[in-house]
Amino acid sequence: MKIARCTPAFQFGRTTDLGPWLRHPLAGFPAMAQLFEDLLPAAAVSSNPAADLHEDTDHYYARFEIPGIKKEAVKIELHDRVLQVSAERRVKVGETESTKTVSRALALPDTVQETGISAKLEDGILTVTLPKQESCKPKVITVN
Amino acid sequence: MNTTGTPNNSAPSVGVTESLRKPLYSVVNAKEAFEIEVELPGVSKSGVSIDLEEDILSVRGERSGTAPDGWKALHRELSSLNYQLRLRVTTPVDVEKIVAKLEEGILKVTLPIKAAAQARRIEVA
Repeated sequence: MKIARCTPAFQFGRTTDLGPWLRHPLAGFPAMAQLFEDLLPAAAVSSNPAADLHEDTDHYYARFEIPGIKKEAVKIELHDRVLQVSAERRVKVGETESTKTVSRALALPDTVQETGISAKLEDGILTVTLPKQESCKPKVITVN
Repeated sequence: MNTTGTPNNSAPSVGVTESLRKPLYSVVNAKEAFEIEVELPGVSKSGVSIDLEEDILSVRGERSGTAPDGWKALHRELSSLNYQLRLRVTTPVDVEKIVAKLEEGILKVTLPIKAAAQARRIEVA
């Protein structure tokens, strides 16, 4: 028998690779790091999109704000009960083009059923629907 | 020649005050037009309104996707406030030819600069 906690313990993480700058020998010297960044023609910009989490009786809903990203560019991975949402966006300002990466992780509690997770993208908002485990749904017991 | 600025973005001090937020945006001054990109996640096509009154371009976005009934919030970062962006356009633009497109939560507005106001190269005779 498996005991699942029915009070969810979701954990939003910012497990994005912050780029080589934090590991760079010059990390902590922002001006210097900035100088190097400026020298890179198409520096990848990475950010964590805003996210929220809701629930109803049967599902949890995680939403991520990712404007400007097409459906095909969104990658959702589930690994060790961590849901990782990432996407790349080509940003073209005038002549210069760069790639902006957005990424956000969400640690799922045991109450989420891993099969049956679905996602929808609408108006720049990604909604991931996470079904609850049968054992965590409220039950109505009828009196005979 | 790009003198696009941001006048007062807050709601007027009299009357009903609605909390609005300023969206992220960028303005590119291309040779023949201003290209404005406004990030409006959560706003559908019907929720966008664009006005050019005198020299003020107003972009408004009504958020449609706030949490449906029956959803209980466990964690909240997304704001449900509507968006408003006001930009001052001091270069004459061709009002009839302004086009706007909303795609994946990004609004692109193209304001063609009137021919007379475009930069010209003057050749020395």
